[in-house]
Amino acid sequence: MAAAAGGHRGRISAALPLLLPAYLWLAAAVFLPLSAMLFFSFLSDLPFGGRAWEVTLENYRTVLGQSLYTTLLASSLRLGAEVTFWCFVIGFPAAFALAKLVRGRSREAIFLLVILPFWSNGLVRVFSWAMVLREGGLIDTGLNAVLPFDVNFDILYTRAAVLIGLVHSYLPYMVLTSYLALEAIEDHVIEAARSLGASRLQILWRLVLPLSLPGIAAGAALIFVPVVGSFMEPRLLGGREGTTIGTVIEDQFVAVFNWPLGAALSFTLLAVVLAVLALAAPALRRAL
Amino acid sequence: MRGRWPTLLGQAWLGLVLLFLYLPIFVLALMSFNASPFYQLPFEPSLDWYRALAGNRQLKAASWNSLFIAALTTVIATLLGAMASLALHRHAFRGKRVLQALLFPPVAVPWLITGTAMLIFFFGVGLGRGLHTVLIGHVALALPYVIVVISVRLQGFAPELEEAARSLGASPWQILRRVTLPFIAPGVVAGALFAFAVSFDQFVVSYFLATPGETTLPVEIYSAIRKGFTPEINAVSTLIIAVSMGLVFLTSRFFRFGGVR
Amino acid sequence: MKRIPALFGAALAALLVAPALAAEVHVLNWKGYGTDEPWAVEAFEKATGHTVVNDYFNSEQEMLTKLRTNPGAYDVVMINAAFTGDALREGLIQPIDTSKIANYADVGADMAQSPLLNQDGQIFGVPWVWGLTALAVRNEAFPTPPASIEAMWDPAHKGKVTLRDDAIEAVQFGAIATGQSINDIKDLDAVREKLAALMPQIRTFWSSENDWNQMAAAGQIDIGTYWSGAAARAKNQFNLPVTFVVPQEGAIAWLDAFSIPKDAKNVEGAQAFINYMIDPGFYVEWDTAAGAPVSANARAVAALPEDAFNRAVMGDPALAERIEFQKPIPDADKEKYLALWQELKVNAP
Repeated sequence: MAAAAGGHRGRISAALPLLLPAYLWLAAAVFLPLSAMLFFSFLSDLPFGGRAWEVTLENYRTVLGQSLYTTLLASSLRLGAEVTFWCFVIGFPAAFALAKLVRGRSREAIFLLVILPFWSNGLVRVFSWAMVLREGGLIDTGLNAVLPFDVNFDILYTRAAVLIGLVHSYLPYMVLTSYLALEAIEDHVIEAARSLGASRLQILWRLVLPLSLPGIAAGAALIFVPVVGSFMEPRLLGGREGTTIGTVIEDQFVAVFNWPLGAALSFTLLAVVLAVLALAAPALRRAL
Repeated sequence: MRGRWPTLLGQAWLGLVLLFLYLPIFVLALMSFNASPFYQLPFEPSLDWYRALAGNRQLKAASWNSLFIAALTTVIATLLGAMASLALHRHAFRGKRVLQALLFPPVAVPWLITGTAMLIFFFGVGLGRGLHTVLIGHVALALPYVIVVISVRLQGFAPELEEAARSLGASPWQILRRVTLPFIAPGVVAGALFAFAVSFDQFVVSYFLATPGETTLPVEIYSAIRKGFTPEINAVSTLIIAVSMGLVFLTSRFFRFGGVR
Repeated sequence: MKRIPALFGAALAALLVAPALAAEVHVLNWKGYGTDEPWAVEAFEKATGHTVVNDYFNSEQEMLTKLRTNPGAYDVVMINAAFTGDALREGLIQPIDTSKIANYADVGADMAQSPLLNQDGQIFGVPWVWGLTALAVRNEAFPTPPASIEAMWDPAHKGKVTLRDDAIEAVQFGAIATGQSINDIKDLDAVREKLAALMPQIRTFWSSENDWNQMAAAGQIDIGTYWSGAAARAKNQFNLPVTFVVPQEGAIAWLDAFSIPKDAKNVEGAQAFINYMIDPGFYVEWDTAAGAPVSANARAVAALPEDAFNRAVMGDPALAERIEFQKPIPDADKEKYLALWQELKVNAP
């Protein structure tokens, strides 16, 4: 299959007409602007308003030399990994159910329903979560109305709240990408395995999971990558625990005018994220 | 894997996941009918926020701008993204890995940095600010999602199908319409839905690139939280979700895109 | 390479962007901060024929970036006087002909002649309003308002304290608590220690008025830093039971002023708009209907009811001795403050 897909090895010319529009657009709107930022990250000061500047590695030395930044980078990576893990645990079985256990017209409807909540505003959704998770909020009030004794439910401004908010925001990616891969597995393949005497667990482990790996990997990448740099959910739901590499980068742009350091932080983040993806490449390569 | 109990269990899990996804949406809608401007319980029914919304020209204009930009972004990004993913799937060439890796910087670099970079760059090349630059930015941010999602679907696509159609004398256009597109349809739809969501919820880039007086909904919302944020925002979000839900049920009645079966 | 989007963009631009009218006044300010009050915009338009178009910023750095990258796009910009010098150094603003601004004569001399707004005999900023960053308390938790800043450290309110997520404000607040001048912090270690002791008290950091008001309404906080104008709005507009407190140790004062950007297209409209913004008629209505900081125009403050907060409390001469106006902070110090603040947030117990 891979050989058939790669029939014209070495010649990009055949692919160009289809590739060019998308990549030209990306180049003009994202890559060129970001290269300007990459350039700034090697400067001592910004080249506007008659400031004196020189090329330097100082910003990267600061980023890698200060325990503050490396600690934050590590904890943000962990956050990304945890969110990705929970999205998989929750999302994959749901995708399987949708692909294999739901029939007929309701599939299309559910497919759309999974993504619809994300046509609302992210900020308003986070506020709504705060309303659910806080003392005197929806869960607290609900529990006290039902239970005969008083309980105090308040997990707003904790790490758990950040996790819930982020898993909620990114779950659809895992559900839909897994679905796309799962749905492509033809039923007769599974039937064949069953008729050969494979148990349910064997079918899942040896057949379904490997075949849906591209979907899982793509979903994981689309979750992990943005979560590592996220700042809105941590800031609004995490309270004192809400400082992430994303909020620190934001500060360099907002609180002080230190774009070079902010840019250096972003590109270090990008490099680390890409390195993590490269380590996971064998699975990812199949995903793309 | 089609025992009665596992099936019920699986469907129940799917139901729970949907419940989780809709919990904040339910709260959001509930609070749009609540009198308290600070999301306070107990609940006091009120239509004040809808009344306020009806008179809020700026918020309505921003919502239309957002819908318009998101729709255009969806069309352009889905089209260009589908083309690119087909090319990446069909052809192997040197540098392909690089092209694939290049999809991640726009996702990985925090949007504040991308937004600032775009502002500086568009200013530098003379494109300036306005809804046109907002659109350029949104399409670029949505493209990686579309390409990655459609590529997943293409992974499960057996090229022998296209070969078979070709050997039966089908034209490339016929192959695309009758063989390839129906198979990748779920991927294209999912990609388009994500593109819409990315654009519709995109704040930072719109914030830097929109001109005063011609903003988008997320920009209105974000600048509103500094001072008087009100559940008017919930009201407009509720309306948008309600209308989209209506469209969803109509669409799912008349179109099949969930898979080939 | 950029031709396609450029062409497409130009075509779209022609469709989407209406040509700018000559009589438009483009204003850059915080959202919901006086210049975009609908009634005010309407009254100004009726009186002068200039239409007002508002744009907003969310931080001073962003305001400077918008000025840099949009020459000619704005006619009036609202700048915290501590940042006016930054804008001036980069040549982003122009001298103002105050003879065209009738109400300028009524602006208190100490503010009008502030060295932050004047250079080489030219005026670069017209003082608009001033206010304080001090404390606000929830009345239910504090039947009598606290006199001292130490209430923030009181174990009785553990987990019910909030502080704005802003390095400069936090450090200056720490300076006040350790008996130092906010503009000349000699013992930064003492500030760090004092703030570190505050961290376990804190529920969460706030970043917008909406955050603060929501938490106060839900009873999640008892006390926190707040802006005088914001506290007034919380009370007047949202009926929240909160009281603004200026502790005996002092408070941070700031002065907001209007400037005219370098390439402003409608200088005449800008002058008229600034004049209207410091007019007593506008100010009294703004303070009564919404809640505002203190006008720089002495005649405007005098026009308030006698018991108005901005006249009775903020006009108290004893208060003037406790407060200190923010001066510009060198970049190196800002970065030091930011580093200290980030350390505290990450490593706090």
